[in-house]
Amino acid sequence: MVNHFNEAVQHFLAGRIWHREHIPFLTDLIDEQIKARFINVIQGVTTTKNFLNQSIYKCNRCENHAQFKFTTFHCAKCEGPCAYCRQCLKMGRVSSCTELLIWKGPPISFHKQHENHWQGKLTSLQKKASIELMESTNEKKSHLIYAVCGAGKTEILFDPIYELLQEGKRICVAAPRVDVILELEPRFKAAFPRTPIAALYGGATPKEEPAQLVLATTHQLYRFEGAFDAIFVDEADAFPYTADETLQQAVQKAAKPDAPIHFVTATPTGALIDRATRDQAISTIPRRFHGHPLPLPQYESLWRYIEQIHKGNLPRKLTEWIQKCIENKQPFLVFFHQIELMEKALPLIQQFEPRIEAVHAAHENRKEYVQALRNGEFKGLLTTTILERGITISNVQVAVVGAEQSIFTKSALIQIGGRVGRAKETPGGDFILFHHGITYAMDEAKREINQLNQTGGNL
Amino acid sequence: MKACLLCEAILPALPTWQALIGIDEQKIICESCSKSFERADSIDKTTDLSSVTSLYAYNEAMQSYLHQFKFLQDIALAAVFKKELQTILKHQKNIVPIPVHPEKRMTRTFGQVEALLDYAKIPYLNLLEKLDQTAMGEKTRQERLRTKPLFQLKPNIQIKHETYTLIDDIYTTGTTLNHAAKVLRKAGAKHVEAVTLIRA
Repeated sequence: MVNHFNEAVQHFLAGRIWHREHIPFLTDLIDEQIKARFINVIQGVTTTKNFLNQSIYKCNRCENHAQFKFTTFHCAKCEGPCAYCRQCLKMGRVSSCTELLIWKGPPISFHKQHENHWQGKLTSLQKKASIELMESTNEKKSHLIYAVCGAGKTEILFDPIYELLQEGKRICVAAPRVDVILELEPRFKAAFPRTPIAALYGGATPKEEPAQLVLATTHQLYRFEGAFDAIFVDEADAFPYTADETLQQAVQKAAKPDAPIHFVTATPTGALIDRATRDQAISTIPRRFHGHPLPLPQYESLWRYIEQIHKGNLPRKLTEWIQKCIENKQPFLVFFHQIELMEKALPLIQQFEPRIEAVHAAHENRKEYVQALRNGEFKGLLTTTILERGITISNVQVAVVGAEQSIFTKSALIQIGGRVGRAKETPGGDFILFHHGITYAMDEAKREINQLNQTGGNL
Repeated sequence: MKACLLCEAILPALPTWQALIGIDEQKIICESCSKSFERADSIDKTTDLSSVTSLYAYNEAMQSYLHQFKFLQDIALAAVFKKELQTILKHQKNIVPIPVHPEKRMTRTFGQVEALLDYAKIPYLNLLEKLDQTAMGEKTRQERLRTKPLFQLKPNIQIKHETYTLIDDIYTTGTTLNHAAKVLRKAGAKHVEAVTLIRA
């Protein structure tokens, strides 16, 4: 009987909940660690019966219990009816006969020697928010950082994270979108060169070395349990986090029982603001780091643009705006509500300027295209709401085609406007809403930006 | 609320008379996903098969479908081509699915061809046994053409002097289907045809 734990297994498994068939160790080793009770084995999907004697399933990895997301079938492996979860299917199927492994041995002790190489200077508002965030963390309270687009949200996190790292704590920065994680990774690696950092997202290869600071999409947190002493959720209102209850549960599950979960966003939901205000755990930054106001949206009517584009005519106002950007040598983004319409418009625009492309969620070259826009190779990009947040392109001009469409909510419009004027050298720029009628969301976005500018200007 | 099995978009629930009296065909994938599959409707002839009919082309949408179905083991996707399979197999008797090796079946937890037929409620005969367990996709074309017999008849099976229809998910070089057809013909089948979901 073995009674010492294997360090490599501990490093891989501690804080995680892992599919037995996907673990990168030999079966004998895992068996031995299970026998010595360093690893707990649980069933992938558990079944209970309700009062009508119907089966009710629950996935023990992602905690999904929406019954329509389970499929039952006759399983050749367990030779019986077996249910699997379709919610977290893409991370490797978990079914009734799947074994999930949880580390029960001693926890990893992380080292306390770290270095903070971030050279920048916080504005007084950032500094205040950073201190307040630290205070909430010490009191184990969840804190909300409500900061406008371009306020410098990531920098606010550096000091509190540095302090936690020096206490040997394990930390996670999570975001619903992979683009945000990809943008954060180099910044954190530069700031904390001595800290083991892992970036986890769909398609990234898992490392065996235990990361003290984990940057992860919220989906990846399905695979953690009681792992972190603090979690910072960036862009907390982004799709699909707010729409998907299991992602919110995943964040809860990944945190240790009393660990604080902080939220950082430019467009918090009403409920989030209310809760944070009640708990006196909110920091508001209504001003951008360079001190200039947020660009206000400008309404431009573009009547019957859908019919026009489908007929092969690019509306005159849109053509003129694009040509203006090209003449002034300003990179531009045009947001569309629908891929189909965007792809109809693309060849019409390419007729007078071929160096323009279109991107959407399923687009493989998304990262390269955004980079090509930054370095001037492309004149502009057409995009869906996928680029609404997380990206910074200096001196970019922005237009929305069909701002009245329901996909352009108040927060989507505020985020889109937040792409404009982020650099100190070019703090202004166009933020045009081409529309076929004005919606409440457009007016609310305008009102909120106005209000933030007023509050920010009076500070 | 129902979502598309492939892209998770919410399926619009339109009130129809058919739905009201319960004879409506329940949609399980959305319009744009079903449009992304490209019909091939190709018919080939080989030495051992009088015809091989394939329903779809092996385009990008089909590749990711097959990936999710077979490698992510999402057996629910067996229902996606239910109607198309029912239509093409309406008048066929003696339907024989190409089997997977028992070990492969254990790790995948189901046989994909049987699952396609089960979900379409098409009755079939399990006549064959897979011998070699390397997947065809892992071999080169030359290796495939000169491999040893891939199938044998299950014990105590009588083959009638009739037409048999083999079913497989994908038709690439035809080696798998030819091997299976040979076994059936040797045992006394009059003709052997094949229907596959995909023509690669």
